Parts: sequence; structure tokens; C-alpha cells
Amino acid sequence: MTTVALSEPRKSGHLLRNIGFAALPALILLWSLADLTLGRELVEWLPYLASGFLMNVVISLSAMTLGTVVGTIFGILQLMPYRPVRYPVVAYVQAFRNAPHLVLIFATTYIFPFEIVVFGNYLPFPDWLKAVIGLAIPASAYVAEITRGAILSIPTTQWEAAKGLGFSRSQALRWIILPQCLRRSLPPWMNILASITMGTSLASLVGVHELLHAATDASTAVRRLDFTIIAYIVVMAAFFTLCYPIARLTRRLEQHFNAGSRI
Amino acid sequence: MWNNGITGLFVELTNRLGLNYEFLATGYEAEIWRDGFITTLYLIALLIPVSLIAGLLFAACLTSGRLWLSAPVRAFVEITRNTPTLVQLMFSFLVLNSFVSNLVGGAQNNPLTPFFWVVAMVGLHIAALHAEAIRAGIEAVPASTVEAARGIGFSKLQILRYVEIPLAFRASLPAIVNNLINLVKLTTVGNAIAVSEITYASIMVWTQRDNVVSLMIVILLFFSLINLVVARVGLWVERKLAVPGYGL
Repeated sequence: MTTVALSEPRKSGHLLRNIGFAALPALILLWSLADLTLGRELVEWLPYLASGFLMNVVISLSAMTLGTVVGTIFGILQLMPYRPVRYPVVAYVQAFRNAPHLVLIFATTYIFPFEIVVFGNYLPFPDWLKAVIGLAIPASAYVAEITRGAILSIPTTQWEAAKGLGFSRSQALRWIILPQCLRRSLPPWMNILASITMGTSLASLVGVHELLHAATDASTAVRRLDFTIIAYIVVMAAFFTLCYPIARLTRRLEQHFNAGSRI
Repeated sequence: MWNNGITGLFVELTNRLGLNYEFLATGYEAEIWRDGFITTLYLIALLIPVSLIAGLLFAACLTSGRLWLSAPVRAFVEITRNTPTLVQLMFSFLVLNSFVSNLVGGAQNNPLTPFFWVVAMVGLHIAALHAEAIRAGIEAVPASTVEAARGIGFSKLQILRYVEIPLAFRASLPAIVNNLINLVKLTTVGNAIAVSEITYASIMVWTQRDNVVSLMIVILLFFSLINLVVARVGLWVERKLAVPGYGL
């Protein structure tokens, strides 16, 4: 009885969400049409904002790639039977999972040199690359925890069955355990992707030219309150259109996997 | 500076390890830095109740079943969760703050400080996350329990107060503790609008002395410690509230 009563508001909620998804772009469009001078200003600055946003996407994807590779390795190392291997990795994960992203970005920006010497050649070490590393560190700590949790969630009988079939420990991990982990760790991995993507805006505080930085530049150049407002709404809309689909997909996958495991 | 001897010893010992804490011996910088720690702790102590109360209100709106209450809160929650807090903070500080200034006739009359905006924005941001956790908890309360409460004559508000929230709170406690750890980390965004919390104070020190590594070690330890305490207290509350046999 209650399930029938519940399904009704959910449907209208779904519709509402879809309207909400278009609300911010619609607001920007309507406002810039209502005040054409504002619209012209916005169109003029859009390429600059877009170049900033491209930087966000680049930082987010590189940090996530780096974080996933390192995190997966660390997650496996956390379950190693050798203490000298396990303890430093556990300490790394605990320290950087609890550290604010901003602090890590500051750390990498100010500690790393501005250029590195490779075989006598001076290579520049730009700030955006430091921000990538600053965000990859927490990402790797989160991914390590997810990997560890996913490996532990696989029933031990699977390990034993693999052993019975003559697989070594590393072979069992590679061919039997990890493929199953992939499915389980996808939704939390996407949560991290969304949070790292939003974290890229912190790079503006160390002077990386990304979307928030670009919007601040634009609003100081134009010096109009309504332009400032709409510039920040554009920033919000940009992040929203990037992160909201990830969040929706995550929720759908979570429901899907939950339904699967219940049987 | 409680004891010059101990501080001096500490500075000397860490100096041998290649770390530079000499600023602790000077009154001015040490004071800025200590104030930074206290401001961060103060922010956290203030933000935890603010976010919990606002989160409960949002959750009540979300589950009220009235569209005019739930739709705006739902929109707010989705926007908050999917846009960076820093952008929200800059937006509120630059735009809303200047509206308030215009309203009261000039920035000099504006009672709202950067500190207020950090508390408001981070508090509402975490409240949105709490609301989602509590809502999920409320929806997980067995329908038969709610019906039984309705059967003995509880009103909708009474069911929420005496049945749904106590049970939902237990179910959503792990998620809430997670959000609180996020809250502790989010206090650092205050740095962007010159609230002198720990990172801002540290920048003051390391631009003078170029001792980033030394300060970073302390900051990372500081946040690890706070989050450890938050997680431990959360676990303790979870155990205290556990209903035997209920599975929560």
C-alpha cells in the first residue's frame, strides 16, 4: 500500500529534476536576452571562460587517471601480508584521505620547484601540473580505500576456489578477484571523480587559469554587478552540467548493483 | 608562548631534522599561527551544530510530501552537491554581500563578516549533504512502523519527531560522520575570502620564512587528528545508540 503511495511523488520528482537540470542554462539565456548589453558582454567573454573550463576538465581527468593507477596499487598493497609494506601505505592513505584538498594543492604548489632538471635540460613545472598532483594524492588515497574494501568484499571462498584450480595468489587477484571488484567499485569511483572535478576550482587560489579564475578576471574587467552575478552563474552551470550527470549515473548504478546483490 | 625553554628546545631539535620552526620563538608570527588553529577549531565547533540543525530542517522539508516545500529544497540540494563550494562561497561573498551592503547603505554598515559567510555557506553545503543522508534514513524506516504510529494516533509531525527521526538518525549516522569529516576539510576554503584560519595564517608565516614543508607537516597532522577525533566520536555515538537486534 505504501509502496504505491511512494511511487507517485517519485515520478513527479524525476520530472522536477529534469526541469532543474535545464534551469540554470535557461536562466542565463533568458537574462542575457532580456538585457542585450549584458548578453553581448557575456558572448564576448565566453571563449575566455571556456578556455578556463577546459583546464578544469584536463586537471580533473589527469588527477583521476594518476590517482586511480596509484590508488589501485596502494589498495592491493594495503592487503599485503608483509607489515613493512602494509604500514607505510596504510599511513599514507589515512593521512591523505583526511587532509583538505586545498592544503594538498598548496603543499604541491609551494614545495615543488618551478622547473625540474632532466639530463641537463630545464623543463618547466607549471602550476596546473602541480595542482594535478595535489588532487591526485587524495584521489589515490580514496581509490586505495575503495579497492581495499572491494577486495575484502569478495567472499574468501573465491580465493580458495582459485587456489583449488591451481591459480597462484597474484593470478587469482588478476583473473578472478579484480574483475569482480571493478563492478562494485565503479559507483564510489564516480563519486570521487565528481568531487575531484569540483576540487579543481581550488586551483584558482594558487593562480592556475581555470574557470573560477577566468570568471574573477572577467568580472574585474567588466565591473558590472549583473555581469558578475551571471558570470558566477555560468561557472555554477558549467560545473553542474559536468557533475550532475555523473551523480545521476552513480545513483542508477548503485541501485542496479544493489538489486543484483539482493537476489 | 607558555614556556620559552620548551619552545626553544623544540625549535632546536626540529632544526637538526632540517625543519624550520624558528617563527615560534617570535611573538608576532607565533600568535598569528596559534590564532589560525583556534579559528579553525572555532569554525568546526560552530559549523557542526549549524549544519546538523539545518540538515534536519531540510530533511523534514524533503520528506514532507508537500511539493512547495520539497521542490525548492531538492533544487538547492542538487545545486549544492554538484557545484564547488569555493564557487558558492565566492558568489555569496561577492554578490550577496554587496546586495546586503547596498541594502544597509554602504559597506561600512555591513554587519556580515567573511567569517559569517564561511559559516553560512559551508554550513548550508554540509546541511544539504546531511539532508540527503537523513532522507535516505527516513525512507529506510519500515512502513509498518510508521503505520503502527499512525494507528495509535500520532500526527505526521509527531511521527517525524518520535519515530522517523530517531530511527533515521541511527541509519544515517555513518553518512553524517562522513559529512562532518568533509566539513572539517571544507573550513579551509575560508582562506579564499581572508578568514584567518590555519591555512591563511600559515601562508602569512611561510611567505616570510619559506618553511612550507615544516608547516605542512603540522597542518596535515592537525587535520588528521581532528578527523580521527570526529570519526571516533561518531563511532562511539553509533555504539551508544545501537538498538540490539535492529541491525542499525
